[in-house]
Amino acid sequence: MGGRYLARRIVQTIVTIAFIVILNFLLFRMMPGSPERVLFRNPNITPAVLAEARARWGLDKPLIPDQLVSYVRSTITGDLGYSLKFRGQSVTEVIATRIWPTVILFGLGEIIAIVLGLSLGSYSGWKRGGTIDYLGNGLSLVLYSMPYFLIGMLMLLIFATTLGWFPTSGMFTIGATYASPIEQVADFCRHLVLPVATVALGLVGQYSILMRSSIVDTLSEDYVSTARAKGLTESRILRTHALPNALLPTVTLIAINLGYVVAGAITVEVVFNWPGIGTLTVDALAARDYPMLQGIFLILSVAVVLANLAADVVYGFLDPRVRV
Amino acid sequence: MTITTLTPRELRAERWRLRVRGWRDFWSRFVRRKDGIIGLLILGVFAALALAPSFFVGPLQTVTTATGGRLEPPSPGYPLGTDEVGRSILNLTVHGARVSMVIGLLATVVTVGIGAVLGIVSGYVGGRTDTLLMRITDFFLVIPTFVLALILAPIVLDIVGTDAELFGIRVTLLAIVIVIGVTSWASTARIIRSQALSVKERMFVDRARVIGASSSHIMRRHILPNVVALIVANTVLVFAGAILTETTLAFIGLGDPFQPSWGQILNAAQSAGAPGLGAWWYLIPPAACIVLVVLAFTLLGSALDDVLNPRLRGRR
Repeated sequence: MGGRYLARRIVQTIVTIAFIVILNFLLFRMMPGSPERVLFRNPNITPAVLAEARARWGLDKPLIPDQLVSYVRSTITGDLGYSLKFRGQSVTEVIATRIWPTVILFGLGEIIAIVLGLSLGSYSGWKRGGTIDYLGNGLSLVLYSMPYFLIGMLMLLIFATTLGWFPTSGMFTIGATYASPIEQVADFCRHLVLPVATVALGLVGQYSILMRSSIVDTLSEDYVSTARAKGLTESRILRTHALPNALLPTVTLIAINLGYVVAGAITVEVVFNWPGIGTLTVDALAARDYPMLQGIFLILSVAVVLANLAADVVYGFLDPRVRV
Repeated sequence: MTITTLTPRELRAERWRLRVRGWRDFWSRFVRRKDGIIGLLILGVFAALALAPSFFVGPLQTVTTATGGRLEPPSPGYPLGTDEVGRSILNLTVHGARVSMVIGLLATVVTVGIGAVLGIVSGYVGGRTDTLLMRITDFFLVIPTFVLALILAPIVLDIVGTDAELFGIRVTLLAIVIVIGVTSWASTARIIRSQALSVKERMFVDRARVIGASSSHIMRRHILPNVVALIVANTVLVFAGAILTETTLAFIGLGDPFQPSWGQILNAAQSAGAPGLGAWWYLIPPAACIVLVVLAFTLLGSALDDVLNPRLRGRR
């Protein structure tokens, strides 16, 4: 892959992350009220004490550059401040304990959705106008119109409450003691099924619509006609000529979609009371835990930006045409 | 050769005739799209509900005016059952149509407004302005804007307070409108810019410039009319997105309990434990409305896109 293309994308990514940090800094200084007013609810406070507190926290210095510089410096070292809700714990600590449940839930959901969505989409595109295409398209459109949490609530209603197949909330059964680690893993898996299925269903519609149109576009290309003229079988044309090319745009689109997936993550976790970043966000919102919200925004945005960079790099490897 | 000059009156008549022909042309192509017609019909029903909810189900029930029992399943008196404080779900859902649609509409106006202005200016002016505006646009395209909306909403709410009213709309709702607007304009700006770039190269823009028209005049009178079709098609899709975003924001607790949107109803259902109690009548009505409206907008939007978007015309 061309070094210049890669270098340009990396510089772009760094600039974007720098903007995220600055936006994050400014946003939370737009809030009404100032820290010293909140912490000193004492009406008899003297100006001297107030001035001393302001000096200690660096609030007497100008917003830009002094306060910004110290904010950027501590952000880079991983210091995101202290949570207001989880007293005594730093934002970084709390986020670190909550990130794995989210990664597992969304990693699995995303993989299942990609496999299912891309197969369904390419099959519908290949057999355009067939029964599968018709049903798949309709189903994809309906799923596409549903917010994730709605799918989750309906799943909960059907499979947990009515049928009683799966537990309704959490990651483990509360108060359960396990005879062996295997039993614990089994309990975890039973709790995982519905949330993962929700994420997968929420995504599968988009991926299938996307793959279908990509395959339809590819099948009208000249090289496909050439392959047909050579007398190759339809399935061979699909596998060796159409699919590899049709998959290319989906790499980028899946990365672009990640931002929306993050939004879905938050709501699905709320429905299933899954102890990840999503429930953390909603708890922080309810408690107006601004340092926590700031940290979550930073982590999620940087993750999405980096995923986009990764997708572009992967694309560069797959498609020689962009390696200029 | 004689040159006929049209009187202002004839000019107006001619313009009108062309416009009517354009509309008829558009309509004849549009009616062939069955999905677009279905979308339009569904939206018509919801627009009627949103315009006069009290006409269909009476005034919005509150905790104090609720008459039913707690979480009762559907019965003749309450066709869609009741919620945890005894309000009729039918009543809530129909009134929710108004809140959801109004927030969706206003947020769409803000989104498309910002997107169209930035897109046209960026595309027409070009140069450094274009580079700068498109960098900002790319930034908003790549970051998870929903998360931005999520942290922006409480800040805006804290700034404006929660009790004030503006033009009879509670400012909490306007805060949501603004938050959705400022976080979701980027793709609109991109689409409009690309079209503005190609319109700019057309002959009539040069002619206008030669006779001394100012940039702002050219953008308003020459570029805008030529990108308006694209704006319309995009607006419909943005509307669907705005309703989904509002629903999600309300669901995670950023809505207004006093003016329940569909998302707010689902938020109440979730905190009342409706899914775990098997209270399907509490979930299905608002859920069905959301899906129907978003589906209708998507169908209408893709039909309009095919009919209006010059690049896609004649595909399929």
